[in-house]
Amino acid sequence: MNTLDGLIYGLGVATQPVVLFYCFFGVFLGTFIGVLPGVGALAAISLLLPITFYMPPEAALVMLAGVYYGAQYGGSIASILLRLPGTPQSAVTALEGYPLARQGKAGAALFVAMSSSFIGSILGIAILVLFAPLLAQIGTKFGAAEYFSMMLLGLVAASTVGSEAPAKAMAMVVVGMILGCVGADVNSGALRFTFGQTELLDGVNLVALAMGLFGISEVISNVRTSGARKVEEKVGPKDLLRERRQLKRVKFSILRGTGLGAFFGALPGTGGTIATFLSYAVERKVSRHPEEFGKGAVEGIAGPESANNSAAITAFIPTLTLGIPGDVIMALMLGAMIIHGVQPGPLMLVERPEMFWGLIASFGIGNLFLIVLNLPLIGIWVALLRIPFSYLYPAITVFVCLGVYSVRGSAFDVMSVVFIGAFGYIMALMRFNPALLLLGFVLGPLIETNLRRALLLSRGDLLVFFERPISAVFLSATILLIGWGVFTSLRKIRRPVRQEAGE
Amino acid sequence: MQRDHLDIWGGVALAVFGLAVAFYSVNHYDFGELRRIGPGFFPTVLGGILVLLGIAVAVPAFLRSGTTPKVDLKEALFILAAVVVFAVLIERVGILLSTFVTVLITTIPAPKPGLLWRVVTAIVVSAISWAIFVAGLGMPLDVFPWGR
Repeated sequence: MNTLDGLIYGLGVATQPVVLFYCFFGVFLGTFIGVLPGVGALAAISLLLPITFYMPPEAALVMLAGVYYGAQYGGSIASILLRLPGTPQSAVTALEGYPLARQGKAGAALFVAMSSSFIGSILGIAILVLFAPLLAQIGTKFGAAEYFSMMLLGLVAASTVGSEAPAKAMAMVVVGMILGCVGADVNSGALRFTFGQTELLDGVNLVALAMGLFGISEVISNVRTSGARKVEEKVGPKDLLRERRQLKRVKFSILRGTGLGAFFGALPGTGGTIATFLSYAVERKVSRHPEEFGKGAVEGIAGPESANNSAAITAFIPTLTLGIPGDVIMALMLGAMIIHGVQPGPLMLVERPEMFWGLIASFGIGNLFLIVLNLPLIGIWVALLRIPFSYLYPAITVFVCLGVYSVRGSAFDVMSVVFIGAFGYIMALMRFNPALLLLGFVLGPLIETNLRRALLLSRGDLLVFFERPISAVFLSATILLIGWGVFTSLRKIRRPVRQEAGE
Repeated sequence: MQRDHLDIWGGVALAVFGLAVAFYSVNHYDFGELRRIGPGFFPTVLGGILVLLGIAVAVPAFLRSGTTPKVDLKEALFILAAVVVFAVLIERVGILLSTFVTVLITTIPAPKPGLLWRVVTAIVVSAISWAIFVAGLGMPLDVFPWGR
């Protein structure tokens, strides 16, 4: 099946009424949850993951993807109007969006955010369609050694690139990998770290882990400030449409942002956050009015928003074609696919074309829904921001509990949320990044399996990882990143010492 | 001299955890050999790496000052207690009562005063929970304390 056939086939799958309905539903719910202050795409997906267990797999994944980009858009509404981003990506949007909203130009900020998200996504889909089949073909030549090295590179890149404290970040990844070991070992059948609990035989529950780390821990840290926020602006569809001319001003910002986003999104481990920050820096650099930045420059919204959304789409390239999630959200999506019996990887294109092409087609339809839905509904989303958090967080807590319980009717899982939530809250206080823990948790078992397989094939020769050229490239990059992380940390240690010596 | 106590203790905790994991794995699971690695290999190596990373987090922290975070102890305790109560009640008294009680407990640390809004929120949330999870998704749960 060539690309065009595939796309047409995918459109056929994605326009089935059931799938269409869940796509719409996902986009709607995603925006709804994303708008809620302090709740990002990650929490939105974790909250809705259990619900998808009651659906056919195509509908479930299409819906989750819809939740993902819907929540991102909802998050940018919250960061423009309230400066309360749910994710680091939308934090960049707040830099220019919030000042604009303060000046009474919320309509301009929202319109630019919405249209650049849409254009970024559509271009991202085009890139995905062009490159995914290519990468899948390369992927079929990958052996266990290549997979091992690539996943290692992904984890190390996620914890070192752009990280303030690489050692802390990497420690979180390792803790996640250790948690990933819990349960019956696939190869030997040995029961690892189950301590006689039959509930732990299948390992730590992914939903419980995600909800504890992102749901409960977020709720706890937001309760105290729950009465403090207010939105004064009134925004309706007309306020947005009036700003159409802004599009002309930001068209190149959108293209630059999309390029950056598409590139970094497709790299495992780096993803949208870096792309959005970079895009913001680039826009400020090329702008003829850099003094406007920080006071409401629409280019500073357009670039990062398109970067963010094209990265969100191209992040699916390694996830779908290699089975390697680039970031935490993709890790959750991968987990969801496996739960639904779909194994992403080079063979997915051949074995489950309906899934592969259907999902891609649904991205386009979902983004269309997003823009059609959100223009008329903008008033509702803004009104939603006026609901005090005091009413919302009890509901979020209950939905976390019910969501976890519904996965397999286990009160044990709910109890484990208590421990994971407490742990996640302490981690957040100590400024450890729980997202990396989840990434390690999902990738850990895959890394172990591929390590074991590679060593079995090479008869215990560790050099196999360096003898195979692709694997050698990945490993060299990994070693460079670790070296760089060690170097920057050492420099940080030496600086204060030298200052003292100088005093 | 000021120290970053948070990272010192964080690093120490990581190292201790890593050591415990490695020690437990060595004693309980077969390490295997490189040619055929056993179930103990991966956790032992991970535990060892975590010890190193813990040290790498803790040692530099001795040389710089840190900040003390604000701990929302009351909030944390009531939210976590609410989840515990939910876990205990859900299979015993049905979805309506258990979600009602859970919401009431979560609202205790809310800064907004008054009792009425708490009760109303609890009623609304338990009604929505029933609508989504029992009526919508068909979860096999008791609705009332005395059954369906």
